[in-house]
Amino acid sequence: MTLTSKFTTLGAAALVATTGLVAPAFAEDVTIDLWSRADRSGPLRPGNIVAAAEQLNRAFEAAGSDTRVVVNLIETNAKGFDADALNLLKAHSVGETPDIIVAAHEWIGSFVEAGLAANLEGHIAANEAMYADIIPNLWNSVMYKGERYGIPQDSEVRMFFVNNDILRSAGKDEAFIAALPGKVEAGEFTMYDWCDLAAEAVESGAAKYGWVHRPNVGPDFQMAMASFGIDIYNEDEAKLQITKSGLENYYDWLGYCVNNGSLPADMTTWTWDSTHAAFRGGESMGKFHGIWNVGKQLDAFGLDGKEAYFDKLTWIHAPAGEKGGQPKNLSHPIVYVVGDTENKELAALLVAMASQHVPNTAHAVGTNHTPINYGQIAMPEFQEKGWALIAGTPMLKYAEFMPNHAKIGQYNAITYTGVQAVETGEMTPAEATEMVIEELEIELGDDVIILD
Amino acid sequence: MSSSKFRQASNALLFLGPASLFLIGLLLVPIIVDLVVSFTDMNQTIKVDEFTTKQFRKLVKPSEEAWFGFELRSSFYRALMLSAIYVFFTLTIFNIGFALVLALTTTALPGRLGGLFRAIWLLPRMSPSVVYALLWLWVVDPTDRGLLNQILSITGLGPINPKLDAPIMVIVCANGFIGASMGMLILTSAIRSIPEHLFHAARADGAGGLSVIRHIVLPALRWPLSYITVFQFLALLVSFEYIFLIMGPARSTMTMSMLSYTKTLAPDTGSGQYAYGAAITLILIVIGMAVALLLWRLTNMKQLLTQPRIEVQ
Repeated sequence: MTLTSKFTTLGAAALVATTGLVAPAFAEDVTIDLWSRADRSGPLRPGNIVAAAEQLNRAFEAAGSDTRVVVNLIETNAKGFDADALNLLKAHSVGETPDIIVAAHEWIGSFVEAGLAANLEGHIAANEAMYADIIPNLWNSVMYKGERYGIPQDSEVRMFFVNNDILRSAGKDEAFIAALPGKVEAGEFTMYDWCDLAAEAVESGAAKYGWVHRPNVGPDFQMAMASFGIDIYNEDEAKLQITKSGLENYYDWLGYCVNNGSLPADMTTWTWDSTHAAFRGGESMGKFHGIWNVGKQLDAFGLDGKEAYFDKLTWIHAPAGEKGGQPKNLSHPIVYVVGDTENKELAALLVAMASQHVPNTAHAVGTNHTPINYGQIAMPEFQEKGWALIAGTPMLKYAEFMPNHAKIGQYNAITYTGVQAVETGEMTPAEATEMVIEELEIELGDDVIILD
Repeated sequence: MSSSKFRQASNALLFLGPASLFLIGLLLVPIIVDLVVSFTDMNQTIKVDEFTTKQFRKLVKPSEEAWFGFELRSSFYRALMLSAIYVFFTLTIFNIGFALVLALTTTALPGRLGGLFRAIWLLPRMSPSVVYALLWLWVVDPTDRGLLNQILSITGLGPINPKLDAPIMVIVCANGFIGASMGMLILTSAIRSIPEHLFHAARADGAGGLSVIRHIVLPALRWPLSYITVFQFLALLVSFEYIFLIMGPARSTMTMSMLSYTKTLAPDTGSGQYAYGAAITLILIVIGMAVALLLWRLTNMKQLLTQPRIEVQ
């Protein structure tokens, strides 16, 4: 029985039950294994699935059915989504495949190749009304070889944060600050201008550090690479991709930022704590991170509400690499993946229920993530508490996603070694480019296309 | 089987069994597993699709000038060199050199005072790795929050950033401060076992402190020093926990064991390449065995383990 027809049957059964006819009752508990990393930043990722099961059970009860859905939460304690995905793949290869998985979207390629993820095209088509309002661009994040293997659970937008007070102390007027996002959007303000501005802030004594980026391997760097024209993924061939000249331009830029004093040379050896402290403590003019920081920024700077926030901070996309180019930013959605198990139809339905406007808004507003459905923005809760998210949603226009390729983790780790080498002064940008290309060729082999 | 033979066999099983199980389960089996995995294509899904030598081919690149037509890949060569530097300096400066100084000085002190200093040097060994690493992170923090920089600012010197400017020194010191305590304990007990009358006789013959050390103490420490060298060499070669906790996956301290860890199990480093990590580990095992055998010969350890020709006491 196909996914579609099963859902039709399920729908028909519910219809029969609610119209007073007695459906055949059988006492049965269906256990849905839900794999989710214990993550304080998103308790409702699994929580919304549990709530959906409760809702479904009430429907069963009303229909006089004895069937009950029991969600067995497998809460893992991996340090990050990458480590968690590796643990999941191991569990899958010994036959312990969960029915629903909360994962970072870029792992979908690995999950499909391992036979873990169920193809959801049929389910989405059969339940069109439940997914009709999803922001279309987000579907790209769950696509693998042209088909959808997941449902976006939340999304976010990553950007450059700018501390306006530091700009003011450095002698910049309000007009300059107000015009900055527009200049970035128009491609007039480039990555080099960003470093020059940050260096100016340091030289004037207004900031201790020009700008800071994440101190470890992660998706943020992809938007800077994209600004320098690196198209990381070749969709036609489903392969990773790198442009030699783009990579060298990107490393040149990082080297420039270190040399002009705007970026600490030892940035890659910092801890997350000191990185956050540098920006939230008012020591750094800029930071390269994501929208979920807003809550902590409000606390750290003692701000209340939208007006005070945007008076203190400005958001810009990653500027273009050269004048006239296009700015970039990145969204890194967390997704629900349905395991290719015997319960996959039921599991997919729970995911559909958890992806509706009300439960998803409870997660998005509570954890500062942008919505997955357009309509969520109009909800009072979003209007009241989600002002930052509403402000961030238009930025998604320039959003790139990480490719859903099994080796993206390796790719990011290797290109990051070049960042380390250039920033610490160990290598020139040209040497780092050569080293990174060699590593990519050897470790990824046929999975990466190297362009000049 | 006669009852005495049966008893002999069952006694052998009873006495040697647990140790043999331990040796086989925790030492031999992992080496065999590593050997097998290194010749497969095992990655993220831990499934094996083929047996191959491609993991080893990742460590070299073709070169027309090299002897066998290939040379070591730069990142692998670098990891080998960093391992050699890290192991050599930690071993000579701390695990042997500093351990010896500690043993000599604390045994020269009056009993309780010596014990107190030894106990202080044992503290890092007793604290959990993460706590110890966090303390080091605080010591070498490049900002003015760092202990080292606070001390330097009192003396009027500018702040320094050891993690950027002297990364190898950071990991040598962090591992050395812990590693020295083991040598210190073994050497202390060896010094304690030197018959007291030898010291008195030397003093009576007019020997000074340094002469006593050179002619009485050091000869008695030959075997313990050989043992510490071999044991600590092997331990350092495969150690990575403090390097990872203090430096993270930094290029500047990417030793062989770190390379293996970051390719396989470390979080957020493109890990999951189990077969590749196993190949790197296999090379570490071979290096470890070769150097251990070499040191065995050089220090004539065989003599240490032979039965004494006379019965002592």
